Amino acid sequence: MRVIDLALKDLLQIVRDRRSAFFLGVMPILFTFFFGLVFGSSAEGDPRLPVGFVIHDESDALSASSQTLLEASDAIRPVLLEGNDADSAAESVRDGDLAGAVIVPVGFGEQALAGEKPRLTVIVDQNTPAGQTASSAVQAAMTRLLGAVETARLSAEAFEAREGFESEAARRAYLDEALALASEAWLQPPLTVAVEQSGAAAEEGEEISPNVYTQSSPGMIVQFVVFGLNTSAMVLVLERRSRTLQRLLTTPITRTQVIAGHVLAMFLVVFLQQALLVAFGQLAFGVDYMREPLAILLVMVTLALWVASLGLLIGAMSKSEDQVIMWALMAMFVFSALGGAWFPLDVTGKTFAAIGHLMPTAWAMDGFQNIVLRGLGLSSVLLPAGILLAYAVAFFALAVWRFKFE
Amino acid sequence: MHKNFGDVYAVQGVNFDVQAGEIFSLLGPNGAGKSTIISMLACLLEPTQGDALVMGHSILRDPMAVKAAIGVIPQDIALYEDLSARENLNFWGKMYGLRGAALRQRVDEVLGVIGLAERQKGRVGKFSGGMKRRLNVGIALLHKPHVIIMDEPTVGIDPQSRRNILDNVKELNQQGMTVLYTTHYMEEAQELSDNIAIMDQGKIIAHGTHDELVKIVGELDRIDLTINAEAGRVLERWQATEGVHQVSAENGQLTLLVDDSNVVLPRLFESASRGGVRITSVEIQEPNLEAVFLHLTGRALRD
Repeated sequence: MRVIDLALKDLLQIVRDRRSAFFLGVMPILFTFFFGLVFGSSAEGDPRLPVGFVIHDESDALSASSQTLLEASDAIRPVLLEGNDADSAAESVRDGDLAGAVIVPVGFGEQALAGEKPRLTVIVDQNTPAGQTASSAVQAAMTRLLGAVETARLSAEAFEAREGFESEAARRAYLDEALALASEAWLQPPLTVAVEQSGAAAEEGEEISPNVYTQSSPGMIVQFVVFGLNTSAMVLVLERRSRTLQRLLTTPITRTQVIAGHVLAMFLVVFLQQALLVAFGQLAFGVDYMREPLAILLVMVTLALWVASLGLLIGAMSKSEDQVIMWALMAMFVFSALGGAWFPLDVTGKTFAAIGHLMPTAWAMDGFQNIVLRGLGLSSVLLPAGILLAYAVAFFALAVWRFKFE
Repeated sequence: MHKNFGDVYAVQGVNFDVQAGEIFSLLGPNGAGKSTIISMLACLLEPTQGDALVMGHSILRDPMAVKAAIGVIPQDIALYEDLSARENLNFWGKMYGLRGAALRQRVDEVLGVIGLAERQKGRVGKFSGGMKRRLNVGIALLHKPHVIIMDEPTVGIDPQSRRNILDNVKELNQQGMTVLYTTHYMEEAQELSDNIAIMDQGKIIAHGTHDELVKIVGELDRIDLTINAEAGRVLERWQATEGVHQVSAENGQLTLLVDDSNVVLPRLFESASRGGVRITSVEIQEPNLEAVFLHLTGRALRD
């Protein structure tokens, strides 16, 4: 009971500290939003490159089909430009607001359906990776479109030769229907390529809707639980400095209970902070933590245990408030930067990723992202959680060894 | 008990009894070992050798029972400054095992005793030094301990708060609590104590009631003098003067133990005059604990 009383006292002190709300809640939410913007775009979570789409003749049947095929691309998404202004589209490409622009001229559809070779204007900056990607994607979509047009045209010619059309309108209706069917067929190609990871068979993940916050939300949780512990470690330092820690030992409480009470308080702070940020990530940023609640809970508990042990270690090593802030900052930068909280370790190369995985934070990120990014299940977090637990035990042992009551 | 810190022998074979219901003072200069003894009795430090029994419980074998029986008032104010007076008392009461209605009632009583009922919701960090000192005392009373241990509770406080604490000590004692009090102020030990142990360099050098201790110096008078020159100019001369037993000098003041001040004082004036030194003030005191300490150690208690 004394352990709980001591933990509740710590929590009361932490809540009283005006800095707590800032470090524990406000800053991580702001940084999640900020990093989300860095990794994503303003397209409400669609990570594909924006390509301007200008239609000069809206009655053209092929315009709608070309837009549909561009929409189906994995690399680009068409952004319909109002005003049909080619100059402003080119300016947007130059400014980097668009990865490219497609101008569909008047008569494009008629020329294509007549078997002529229509000209489509594509504006890209070939010197940039985004421009090259946009160019390839537009070409692929247009090749499919013209393939569909050719299919429709040949089908119409064959039908006309065999049965004939009653009128030009009937011919046009046949062509439109054939074109629509051929275009739709491209959206569901008969051949798909399955990509498998070499080596050990990987767990197959559920498909997750793209969301730019799947990196920044767990990343900022990991970063700010480490930094947020400076408020709880501070309580420990102030207790030692005010001699209340020593006075505690004149009451019927053991040294083990004193340490347990402080660790419990730190664990609760970190866990509640994570719960707040996970809830915020789920509701405000659309990161789907709740698709595997048990797995997320396991990662949260083991991360909180490790961070509480780290907090105890910082509280044990620090003699002043300044030292607490210094150690907390150092821990935050090292564990966040190397542990993949700021950027995915997948993009950093083998060596950096291997070094990063010496950090417990990298395993916490793996645990979170296996659920919210890779669409995996409970079994995928067992290893990260186990490693976090091992780190928690090691840091706790180190903290107890270094702990001074005077 | 013995306590060593490496090569430093802080407490060397200290042995004493405190009777139930008495005020017992450990009197000695800074560094004499008083706080180390208190720390051992409060189970904060383990003796290097020896043991102590508090209310029949060994500090080594049954420290939890010892802690439950004592209330420690530390020398430093040890409070949570970001909590209110009531929150502090609530927390410390829980640490002493109080819960629920019993805790609330006891906190109310203590707030009344220490005179902070009106300010119970105020943040301790904004309290005056005297108020903090009173709350510091109140915490140790929450569980109605058999023994109160006070480690130099009047260091660095104003005369009014000091008076208040000394009155509190007497009141607690009248309520039946045994008080173990440490101080380096001779007047406090003299005013409060039933028994006094005088300590120096980790040892008890004298032990008894005030009257018993004063008898150690017999019928010697104590004279405090100031002169208009450095003490060294008269020190040797006065030590050799007939009727002078001991001379010590500190901060421009000389303290002498003499047989009969009426006879010796004219000799001191004459000796000073011959050396070209003028005596600027004289104070003759009855034998007291200061004189005892001077007699036993050759140094003033305040050294």
